Amino acid sequence: MIYSRKELTEGTGFSCSADSKFKTVSVIVRFIVPLSADAAANALAMTMLGTVSSRFPTVAKMNEELSSLYGMSLGTFIRKRGDVQILGLSASCICSRFTIDGEDTEGSMAELLRDCLFSPSAENGEFESTVFEICRREILDRIDSELNDKRSYAAARLSETAFCGEPSASSSCGTREQAESVTPKAAYEAYRKLLETAPVEIYVCAPEGDPGFEKMFRESFSALDRSCTAPVFRSKSPLKPETKEVSEEMDVRQCRMFMCFKSDSDDIFALKMLSHILGGTPVSKLFVNVRERLSLCYYCSSGFEPSKNTLVIDSGVDRDKLEKAREEIMNQISAVINGDITDEEVENVFLMLENRFATVGDTPSSVGSWYFERFCEGSSSSPEEQLMDYRKVTKARIVNAAQSLGLDCVYTMLSREADQ
Amino acid sequence: MTEKNIIRSSLAGESCIHIKHSSGLDIYICEMPGFSSVEAVFGTKYGSVNNIFRTEGDSSFTEVPEGIAHYLEHKLFENEDCGAFELYAKTGASGNAFTTFDRTCYLFSCTRNYQENLKILLELVQNPYFTQENVDKERGIIGQEIKMTNDRPEWRVFFNMLRCMYHSHPVKIDIAGTEESIAKITPELLYKCYDSFYNLNNMVLSVAGNVEANKVLEVCDKYLKPCRDKKLEKVFPDELEEIVQPEIREQQPVGTDIFHLGYKCRPAAGSEKLKKTVAASMAASLLTDASSEMYQKLLGEGVINSSFTSEVFCGDGYFSVIFSGESPEADKIRQAMTAEIGRINSEGLNEKDFQRIKKSAYGVLIRELNNVEATAHIMLNSHLEGILPYDTIQALSEVTRIETEDFIKTELRPDRLVLSVIEGKAVQQ
Repeated sequence: MIYSRKELTEGTGFSCSADSKFKTVSVIVRFIVPLSADAAANALAMTMLGTVSSRFPTVAKMNEELSSLYGMSLGTFIRKRGDVQILGLSASCICSRFTIDGEDTEGSMAELLRDCLFSPSAENGEFESTVFEICRREILDRIDSELNDKRSYAAARLSETAFCGEPSASSSCGTREQAESVTPKAAYEAYRKLLETAPVEIYVCAPEGDPGFEKMFRESFSALDRSCTAPVFRSKSPLKPETKEVSEEMDVRQCRMFMCFKSDSDDIFALKMLSHILGGTPVSKLFVNVRERLSLCYYCSSGFEPSKNTLVIDSGVDRDKLEKAREEIMNQISAVINGDITDEEVENVFLMLENRFATVGDTPSSVGSWYFERFCEGSSSSPEEQLMDYRKVTKARIVNAAQSLGLDCVYTMLSREADQ
Repeated sequence: MTEKNIIRSSLAGESCIHIKHSSGLDIYICEMPGFSSVEAVFGTKYGSVNNIFRTEGDSSFTEVPEGIAHYLEHKLFENEDCGAFELYAKTGASGNAFTTFDRTCYLFSCTRNYQENLKILLELVQNPYFTQENVDKERGIIGQEIKMTNDRPEWRVFFNMLRCMYHSHPVKIDIAGTEESIAKITPELLYKCYDSFYNLNNMVLSVAGNVEANKVLEVCDKYLKPCRDKKLEKVFPDELEEIVQPEIREQQPVGTDIFHLGYKCRPAAGSEKLKKTVAASMAASLLTDASSEMYQKLLGEGVINSSFTSEVFCGDGYFSVIFSGESPEADKIRQAMTAEIGRINSEGLNEKDFQRIKKSAYGVLIRELNNVEATAHIMLNSHLEGILPYDTIQALSEVTRIETEDFIKTELRPDRLVLSVIEGKAVQQ
């Protein structure tokens, strides 16, 4: 695999990886903006771009084009990373050499992406209203359906509590009220603002290298008067003076307990190692002790979020075991603070990371995701280089990282007492 | 004696190797140059629906508690000394296991030491160790898993639909069973199931990625324990063609209502099943095609959103076509679907649309072969379904509009339609 990144115009990064083993061409375009009150307008604008274009102005016509091109995929994704909103447009198609009738799928995809991004279905400075309303419903349904997945719902409630007063407390698509009030004109203005001011990262993965996307994107972005501000990817969240406890009862059979710890340490690799040792693998302290040894949870895992310097431990627990599970989780953190880390635990994490990093080149999207994450972290380390950074982490640094943790808040979704 | 065959697909430009191993096991290997990872899946044709069975020498059929295949999977994931996770952790591999309606699979993915990992996998699955103590200990964890899946609305809506479709077939039973049914599971029953279903003649190993076939076979030759075919017989209760009831609704804390709209079809087996599955997939894709008038009308009215999708769900003794998604008015989807099928039955399908959807389906199959994990699972699933790895691509290239119309006419019948809905319930803040 050959990977390279360059700047096409101000704030427009273009990365490409060439790998002959793939049968597809994939493109991802990410716009990066601060998470703000414009989140819903941005989300709606991006959803419009991934749904129709001036050449294919209805859902039916766009779908007809995509299915004719062997099920070419075209989609939008909207994510939150700390205090930043990431709005993405992705597309993927099978290479021309696999088509039955010899169609130029790569060329068609480049044209389609240009159309979607730079010639949307709009007139007189506003998006076409019929499709806009369909996109609005998509966003509203996405906001409403958060409750359908109890783990995501609990994670969102924890975010609201942990980051109260910070941009990261909001959801990636904004609130229902914001999405309801965005007009086609306001969304179009948000779109223009994205084009003119948002840093953009483009990633292309193709078997024989870039089949012409760089030229298309360079021409299109150069034609704009762009002026971008570098995004702030890392903003530590202050620890509350006292742990805040939030709980709500729901008609569920299993309770969910999410604990948010905050750290003021800048030793990111030690914090990541700590998270893996605690609850990042099926041989981690939480899995082995809380689930396997004491049978307190079906799952108990931890994840470190560098953008906010938080470590979240989440678990699925019976109501009558909540207290015991929390006690045991705290015991495991205390164990690390007291230096109870074995060589085997550290080595298991290295082996897991080594294995995980070695597979980065095995899917078209994972290389792009890898380097985008590094871009957010202000680095360009390859998987091999980053593994070396992990290798340098000593037990003492992991202990220090654990000592830096403070329990900021706990969200608990309670099953009803009657169900017990 | 071990027999080796190369299976090729000119359409996909791919090939893999099939080995009928002297131990009785079927082995599929796909060497994928350029990829770093290896995916290995060891599976048995044994899932939650296989609750009544006997083998050679049994005077009568044995009936076991619901959820036992899944319980067995949990218990087989550890040996006398430690669990699979610990063994794989020492090599850096990632191990896992899962149980579905008709199969149980154990797998690992890794980037190095694949021979060592394969040894762990083969030894683990071939060496059961069940005691009263370790069986009892697992009950709490599985009980938690049952609770967790019951809190998933998409799981509830699916099983509610199956219960309205099937009178007796065990496909209507939750894969993990219930807290009551798993209370009846004993080490003796687990050994009985293991001895019956974990016979290499009933199993398959699939390995894909950065491997050399000879090195895979070296490990197999060394660690596979030859099995005599015990002539396993699986039976299912008689199932009526009719559905149980046409509709079911349940209230759950959800933000958007979700639905499953399923047609109960007649089951099929062998090559007929492949043809029927492909025709059913084409029918389902055409009925959810975003360019169709029905889709446009429902989307415009706010009845569906982009979550509207379809799947063909089939196995031993069951076959259904399911439409699902989020909708505040699932009734309208049922009405529209019935009307659209009526229209197709009288006017037929549009040939241009048919060819377009066929191309799209072909693209999806080609994409799957981009991926090591998907390739390993395609080889395994194909074998368990009694077909070869690239047969689906071939069958797709051969399916006709007429066959798809026939499927719609004979199988998507309004009297075999079930609507299952999970409706929102206010959340107390």
